[in-house]
Amino acid sequence: MLDLIIRNITNRKVRSALTICGIALGIFAVIVMGAMSENFNQTFERSMSVTSDKIRVFAESGVFGGGLTDDKVSDVLRVAGVKDAYGLLMTTFDEDKLGMTGKQILGMPPEKSSVALYPVDLKAGRFLNPGDSYQVVVGNNIKREYELEIGSKFEIHDKYFTVIGILEYTGSIFDNAVIIPLETAQDLYNVGDSLSYIFAVPDERVDAEMLSKRIELSVKGTSTLSPGELEVQARQSFMIFSVITISSGLLAAIIGGLCVMNTMLMSVAERTREFGILKAMGAETRDILLLTLGEASCMGLFGGVLGIIVGVGAVFVMNTWLASTRIVLFLITPRLIVIAMLFALLIGALSGLYPAYRASKMSPMEALKHA
Amino acid sequence: MREEKKKNKEGKEREEGKEREEGANKNGAKKEKPEIILRVENLSRTYIRGKIPVHALRCACLTVRKGELLAIMGPSGSGKSTLLALIGTLETASGGKAFLDGTDLTTVPEKLLPRLRREKIGFIFQHYNLIPTLTALENVELAMRFSGVPKKERVQRAKALLEELRLEDRLHHKPTELSGGEQQRVSIARALANRPALILADEPTGEVDTKTRDSIVRVFRELSEKGQTIIVVTHDPAVAKECSRVLQIVDGMISDED
Ligand SMILES: Nc1ncnc2c1ncn2[C@@H]1O[C@H](COP(=O)(O)OP(=O)(O)O)[C@@H](O)[C@H]1O
Ligand SMILES: [Mg+2]
Repeated sequence: MLDLIIRNITNRKVRSALTICGIALGIFAVIVMGAMSENFNQTFERSMSVTSDKIRVFAESGVFGGGLTDDKVSDVLRVAGVKDAYGLLMTTFDEDKLGMTGKQILGMPPEKSSVALYPVDLKAGRFLNPGDSYQVVVGNNIKREYELEIGSKFEIHDKYFTVIGILEYTGSIFDNAVIIPLETAQDLYNVGDSLSYIFAVPDERVDAEMLSKRIELSVKGTSTLSPGELEVQARQSFMIFSVITISSGLLAAIIGGLCVMNTMLMSVAERTREFGILKAMGAETRDILLLTLGEASCMGLFGGVLGIIVGVGAVFVMNTWLASTRIVLFLITPRLIVIAMLFALLIGALSGLYPAYRASKMSPMEALKHA
Repeated sequence: MREEKKKNKEGKEREEGKEREEGANKNGAKKEKPEIILRVENLSRTYIRGKIPVHALRCACLTVRKGELLAIMGPSGSGKSTLLALIGTLETASGGKAFLDGTDLTTVPEKLLPRLRREKIGFIFQHYNLIPTLTALENVELAMRFSGVPKKERVQRAKALLEELRLEDRLHHKPTELSGGEQQRVSIARALANRPALILADEPTGEVDTKTRDSIVRVFRELSEKGQTIIVVTHDPAVAKECSRVLQIVDGMISDED
């Protein structure tokens, strides 16, 4: 049967090609949008796993509202169940690029740098040590963008820092992090003893969610974000992003599906007589269904393969082009390819369903009388 | 389950048919007549056009024996095509019965009709009705595909049939590359592919020149002499003349009982 299906597709070259392009365009959109979502997803998941054990303590008025100072750290430390606590000052490195891919300056107590970053490890050099001031540990993307090595000079806010450590690549927000000692950061930005937030590490066997509530109650003027809450919050914004990207991809693919349905309806109408002949020759309803559904699915398959090839190619080109800015926007995963392929087949088969039904239901004599 | 039942029924009816035949033989026919392939009894078909019933076929009664080449003649609109469509199970009857090889076609469930068509019936049409995207060989082969004949065997038989019809150098031509006569011979090969009990030809020479017509009629005669049963609907007295029997259909009525 397959040879007959292929024959029918190749026999109407232009029409089939246009239909296949329609599907390919839809699947292309699915791949590109999906790759964006997958990249976001990966960064998200990895960032989550990297910071999952810590409670963030903010000033009640917010991150940039001030009000959180060094002395609050000892208050947090005094709460039962808190194993460790330290303050961080976070600023964005270049103002124009905010968000997940933006670079962040993290000021943290030098002696805490290795635990604060755990489980992220060093690729080269060392973490910050007590006594460090104009020393810096950089994330992998920063290293690549500024072509930094251990010992390189790195300019932040008109001051030169010496690179003493380079983090391994994680696929998380830490790839864009610039880590300097807390006091240096406070001086640099002239904020006194202000902090952006405090990391509180729970004792083992202490429930982070409970502890989070306890800190909020016992340290005045603070609000906390437990690992669970952080995840929920981040997941929400992630969901919205995903829904937007995926639905725009799906929309394009559905248009591709209508394309197939239209072609198949035309092709079935044109071949009414042919179906009559096949039935006179003793073709089963199943044979007719197989022919029409098979044709639609084949177009879905070809369109899917084409869309995936072009989509992956486009993503590759865009990633290469974006590499100069160190922004990774797209990520192709096996799962994305499988989903796109299944979707292409599904679209093909679904849009072939109605035409196939029409073809199989025709009375043979009626079909034969058709001009 | 259903198939088994059907087979049993078929068998029973076949026996009945034989009894009838034997009865006929006892009643004094000197020469032993061939077995009955088709027996049509009061077959009718009414179409509803708008709200007005159209009696396309009022009453058809005929008996066809193995190896017969029966011509059916009649004016346009007299119900010839309708009769063939009913015998070929492309249409359902409004009344009456038709036994093909002992099976009552009017009671066969819809689901089993395709199998019956491919096993028992071969169609030849006025407009050839070949699949335009397929070559001559593939068109003939297609008929056997639905019956699940293995590829090698299909191709072999299709080639043999086309050679018999002197189309050996046209195997890989598409219908548009063939003359009307050649197309009709391909369609004859296709009709023969599954060794049907009965071939139904609806005005097979309606669109060909007299020379081609004569060659097609010759093919029919040869087949009939080899024992193939054929019913030919035709306008052409020259075709009818070559047939073993001619019946007239008038206004949806046809009968071979005197
Ligand atoms: N599907 C149909 N609906 C309504 N009337 C039909 C249909 N098919 C055939 N008829 C009518 O039945 C009559 C016999 O048709 P047909 O068997 O095709 O005649 P013939 O083949 O002898 O020319 C004609 O009057 C025709 O118009
Ligand atoms: Mg007719």
